Amino acid sequence: MAKGIEVSINEKSFVFDALKQGIRLDGRKLEDFRNVDITLGDEYGYVDVRLGKTRVVARISAEISTPFEDRPFEGLFTVSTEISPMASAMFENQRQSDDELLISRAIEKAVRRSGALDLESLCIIAGSKCWSIRADVHFLDYDGGFIDASCIAVMTGLQHFRKNDITVSGEQIVIHSVEEREPVELSVLHVPICVTFAFFNPEGVEENIKGESNNEIYIVDTTLEEDLLKDGVLTVAVNKNREVCQISKAGGLPMDALTLMDCGRKAYDIAVELTNQIKKLLEADYKRRNEGIQYKLRAENDRITVE
Amino acid sequence: MSIQADTSILNRVDGSATLKSGETEIIVSVSGPIEAKPRQELPTTSALDIIIRPDIGISTTREKLLEDKLRQVLTPVIIGILYPRQLIQITIQVLQSGEDKEYTSKELSTIINATYLALIDSNIGLKVSFAAESFAISTDDEIITAPSRSQLKSSKSSHIVSYEISNGKATKLLFSDSIGTFSENQIYQILDLAATKVEETHQIFRKTIQDKIEKDFIWQL
Amino acid sequence: MSRFEIYSPEGLRVDGRRWNELRRFECRINTHPDSSDGSSYVEQGNSKVICIVNGPMEPSSKAEMSTSKATLKISLNVTPFSSIDRKKRSKNERRIQEIVTSLKRTFEQSIIVNKYPRTTISITLHVLALDGGLLSSITNAITLALIDAGIAMYDYISSVSAGFYNNTPLLDLNQLEESDVSFLTIGVVGKSEKLALLLLENKIPLDQLESVLAIAIAGGHRIRDLMDKEVRRHGDLRLSKLANK
Repeated sequence: MAKGIEVSINEKSFVFDALKQGIRLDGRKLEDFRNVDITLGDEYGYVDVRLGKTRVVARISAEISTPFEDRPFEGLFTVSTEISPMASAMFENQRQSDDELLISRAIEKAVRRSGALDLESLCIIAGSKCWSIRADVHFLDYDGGFIDASCIAVMTGLQHFRKNDITVSGEQIVIHSVEEREPVELSVLHVPICVTFAFFNPEGVEENIKGESNNEIYIVDTTLEEDLLKDGVLTVAVNKNREVCQISKAGGLPMDALTLMDCGRKAYDIAVELTNQIKKLLEADYKRRNEGIQYKLRAENDRITVE
Repeated sequence: MSIQADTSILNRVDGSATLKSGETEIIVSVSGPIEAKPRQELPTTSALDIIIRPDIGISTTREKLLEDKLRQVLTPVIIGILYPRQLIQITIQVLQSGEDKEYTSKELSTIINATYLALIDSNIGLKVSFAAESFAISTDDEIITAPSRSQLKSSKSSHIVSYEISNGKATKLLFSDSIGTFSENQIYQILDLAATKVEETHQIFRKTIQDKIEKDFIWQL
Repeated sequence: MSRFEIYSPEGLRVDGRRWNELRRFECRINTHPDSSDGSSYVEQGNSKVICIVNGPMEPSSKAEMSTSKATLKISLNVTPFSSIDRKKRSKNERRIQEIVTSLKRTFEQSIIVNKYPRTTISITLHVLALDGGLLSSITNAITLALIDAGIAMYDYISSVSAGFYNNTPLLDLNQLEESDVSFLTIGVVGKSEKLALLLLENKIPLDQLESVLAIAIAGGHRIRDLMDKEVRRHGDLRLSKLANK
């Protein structure tokens, strides 16, 4: 297999002509998101996400560490996104390409900077001890949509993860094992979902800049082939509360502002659907885990959650 | 102990395999022979690029050491002369390590086994089959095959043994690595035990490969 | 919340502007005529940026040469004395790298790159003072410097930031506002409503996005006019020199 993947001119015009007629090679409509297949592992915080042929595994882990000096009341949260040649030979080991940089920045901004994880709840003793939560994203197979898939994986992982319960007495911290005490979940404030749009310009560059036609095509959730042919890309991270957490259109084909607004609304619809899917999955997993004796022995009362 | 193996699971590489043995789960991809960078190029044989990535955290010296040990296992087995000046890139992703960071025996034995399957899947020429097994000696001098996380933690020593296998029989010792205190007698016991265990494991792999070939050649049926 | 009042009930911001007012925007082109092919200096409020363009020229290595188009090389230097905390920013910082990549991809579309095959256009940026609007001021500086270098472009890319605070969109934020207000930065193509660049890093309600975008685009057009004025002023000066010869 070659290092870079090149798409021939014939393939390119084939894909373009199909797009102009509103058809995509895998039979999806232009605005369809691929089916997301999420599998939760036996261990807490192990999530395997498949988006078409793309496959991403996220591992969430926690350890106790010291907070930053300028933020004594906050815990630490790191997202590690390094792409190995396993995903595709176009990614080199330990050398970050521009695309890789944009992928990791997009995830970082969507998940970390939007405050999806409540960092203050991770504080144990102000200024000296805090939880450090780590999300390792492993990219196993690549067919486009890395940002979207890894965002889903990390957010599902954070909600699925349980950290060991602790007791604090003065400066002493006791970490209780899972057998001893029910582990506690992380406080996830909202669930941002990334949706990536790709833009194609069926006409010349001049028409795009000067013309009034606005014939540019946008499609949701590209496969690798579409991804290599695209003229521009837009990633929107949005949560169920209609808050846009991150938008990144780093250059590429200039697009009309109204089209971009349309993309935002489409992204919201997709995000709501995915958030519900994740929620259902987590509930099913919770039920499965708490079947039998442990469920009855729980000290905590059943709370009624009001939506 | 349960072993679950599957091959040809990834799309963008030439060969891939996932192996779950007990608590440890590994996924391996092989790309090759591909073009090597000029500085990697070896004029008479193929260059091996081995990347091991941990399940949690970034790769450290621990992973580098594992890479080096795996290289020792693979170099005599791969027919490098078939692919001069070319590169065989092996990427190993640990999905669940199943042991604490200070141990490597379960991880390494699973990695060796998974790499074997991935190499077969990628059709890279191999001189001989191979398989590995991990062992531990408990405090009451009992030899445990494929120890669990807790057994490993309470053990006196941990061992990895890998044999070459031809015609279903373990023939030559390929790799052996031990950490901890143990007697000469015990290591010989382990080596003997390993030969039979590795043969058993090999039978499971043969089945996996048979399934894979049946799947690959379904168009001929 | 900080001690400052971001937007007072009287409708005034920290620096006395109304919601839809730009900061003082001043620009010069051809500031370094001897050391570069194109140069510009942009002041957007208290942010000051120098941009130097060299090229199109022979690429330094074969590897970065493209047979079909010009390659852009951008280096961004945020000086340690540009902000109050005097932090040394490495060029390899991921945020800086992201800005550089975004700029590269923006200008690859607006420069007519296929006119200059087998060449490199190198853009060097120095941020002398930073008071918010890092991305927007450097984008404007690059546009001007490229025009000064005589490199063919489809249109101006004018860039400005806009935020959203307490149900009011705010145009062109300074550093103080940036730290408290969620904001986006856009790059508008010429007088159109097309966006080459759109970056948002904090939370904005989806339904308010349109109003923020609208004032940002209006602000972008205003900046385009100001840049155009400077380009024409410089052009007239050049012409008059030619006529006097």
